[in-house]
Amino acid sequence: MSLFEARGLTVRYGALAALTDVDIALEPGLVHGVIGPNGAGKSTFIDALSGRRRPSQGTVTYDGEDITRRSVRWRRAHGISRSFQRTSVFSSMTVRDQLEMVARRNAEPDLDQLVETLGLEEVADQVCGEIAYGTQRSVDLAIALIGKPRVVLLDEPCAGLVADESVRMLDHVRTLSRERDVAALLVEHDVEGVFRTCDTITVLDLGKVLASGEPAAVRADPGVVRAYLGSAA
Amino acid sequence: MSTTVLPDAPPADIAPPPARRRPRATLVGAVAIVVVLLGGLSVPYVITDTYTMGLALEAAMLGLPALGIGFLARHLGLISLGHSAFFGSAAYSVGIAVNRWELGLTAAVGFAVVVGAAISLLMGILVVRSSGMGFLMLTLALSMALWQLALQTSFRPLTGAHDGLLISAGNDASFLGLGPADVQNPGLFWPMVWVTLMLAALVLWLVGRSRFGVLLEGIRENEERMRFSGYDTFLPRLAAFVLTGVVASLGGALFAVNAGYVSPDILGFTRAGDTLIAVLIGGPASLAGPLVGTALFVWAQANLNFGGNLHLFTGLALIAVLVFMPGGLTGAVQRLSRRLRRGGRR
Repeated sequence: MSLFEARGLTVRYGALAALTDVDIALEPGLVHGVIGPNGAGKSTFIDALSGRRRPSQGTVTYDGEDITRRSVRWRRAHGISRSFQRTSVFSSMTVRDQLEMVARRNAEPDLDQLVETLGLEEVADQVCGEIAYGTQRSVDLAIALIGKPRVVLLDEPCAGLVADESVRMLDHVRTLSRERDVAALLVEHDVEGVFRTCDTITVLDLGKVLASGEPAAVRADPGVVRAYLGSAA
Repeated sequence: MSTTVLPDAPPADIAPPPARRRPRATLVGAVAIVVVLLGGLSVPYVITDTYTMGLALEAAMLGLPALGIGFLARHLGLISLGHSAFFGSAAYSVGIAVNRWELGLTAAVGFAVVVGAAISLLMGILVVRSSGMGFLMLTLALSMALWQLALQTSFRPLTGAHDGLLISAGNDASFLGLGPADVQNPGLFWPMVWVTLMLAALVLWLVGRSRFGVLLEGIRENEERMRFSGYDTFLPRLAAFVLTGVVASLGGALFAVNAGYVSPDILGFTRAGDTLIAVLIGGPASLAGPLVGTALFVWAQANLNFGGNLHLFTGLALIAVLVFMPGGLTGAVQRLSRRLRRGGRR
C-alpha cells in the first residue's frame, strides 16, 4: 500500500468527462510526474486529489484511510498540501510575514532552512507583489512545503518561468522531496524537465491514462510517442 | 437620495500600504489615539455654541459605524451597507427597552449593544462568505428588511412604525451619572461619546495590527490559499464583522440616549448610503479616514443644505473624490506626504 493513492478517479462536468478512471500511487521521497497536452485533465486531476473538486467517482486514500470527501483544511492539517498553477501568494504581505503566518498554522521545524533552500533570504523582507515572478513561484512552493507535509501536489510549478528558472525550480522539487522525504506529485508542461526530475511518470490524454511507469519505459511507449511526444522523442 | 455606482471589488487604494509588522508603529499609533482621546475631551470648552457642539456630537456618534465600515474595507476588502442597520437597531433597542420594560438608560444601552451583536452575528453568518458586489447587496438587502420590519403596523406598539419612537426615560433617569436633561446637552454628553469613539478606534487599531489582523489580511489577499494553508476563513471574517457591528451599535445606542427619539429613517437606504459615502470620501485606507469623512459629511449637511440641493453637493463631492483621489481625502494626504518625504530624501 502506498502513502497516497487514487483509484478509479473520475470527474465529470455535466456530460463531459474531464477525467476517467485514473489511478495513481505516491511514495515518500519520490517524485511522480504527470504530463499531458492541454486539456488532458491535469489540473482537474490535481484539484480532485487536493479536495478542491469532489470526484464524481473513485477514491483517494491516505495512509490507508479513505479521504475522498475530506475538506481542504483537513488534508492540510494531516500533511497533504498543494501549490497552484496560477501563482497563489499573499501579494500585499512581505515574504517573511506570509511564510510565518502559514508556519503558525503548520508547525515548521526549520523555516530558515526552507527559505535558504529556495533562495528566498534576499527577498524575505520585500512585499511579495513587488518581487520577480519567478521568485513568487518559489514563495508559492514554500507556502506548500511549510509544516513538513508528507504529500505535496504541485500544479505546474514552472508555469511562466524561463528555461534556467525552470531547471532550478525542478531541482528544488527534487532536492526537497528527497531531503524531506515527501511524496510529490508534479504536474508539469515541461516534458523534458519531468523526465529529468521524476522517478515515475503518468501520461494523461483526454482524461485517461495513456501510460504510466518509469521514465525510460514511458518514453519508449508507442502510444505515448504517437499521441504526445511526437517524432522529437 | 444619492445613488452611486460602486465598483465590484474595492479599488486598490482601499488596501492599506503593505503592513510590515512593526511593533513600534503599533505603539505609536496607540499612543496617538490616547493623546487624541485626551485632547478631544476639551472640545466642549472650545466650541461654546450649542448648535455647533450638537454637530460635533452627531459626527462622533456617526463615526462609530463609519469606523466599523472602514475596518472591514481595510482588512477584508468588504464594503458594507449594513452598519447603519446595526446603528439603527441599537437605537430602537434602547427605546424599546426603556419604554416597554422600563429599563434604566445604562442597562438599555447594554441591552442595545447585545441586540446589535446578535443581529450582526445573524447577518454575518449569511453574508461574510460573499465578497465585492455580492456582499454590498446582501448587507443592503438585510438592512432594508430590518427597515421594513420596523415600519410594520403590527409592530406599532413596539417601534411606533412610521411615527418613530419617542423614548420616555422619566425624570429620575440617569445614564452613567448624567440626568435626562444632561444627556441631551451636547457639551455634557460629549465626553461619553468621545471616549467610546476613541476606545473603539483603539481596539480596532490594535486588532488590526495583531496576529488576528494578519490573518484577516491573508484572507483578504487570498482566501483560497488560506484554506489550503489549513486556516478556517469563515470564523475570522464573522468575528471581524461582529466586532464592527458592536462598534456601530454603540453609536446607535448613544444616539438614542442623546436624541430621545428614534425615526425609522435611521434604518433607511439614504442613511446607509450616506454613511458609506462619508467613509469613501474620508478614505477607508486609514483608521482616521472614516472619521474625517463623517465629520465633513455632517458639516456639509448642516451648511450646504440651501435650496434643497444637499444631495447634489454630496454627489459632486463623491464623484470628485472617486475620480481624483480614489483613496479618499486621507488617502490623498498620505500619498502627498509620502511623495514629499521621498522628494526630501533625493
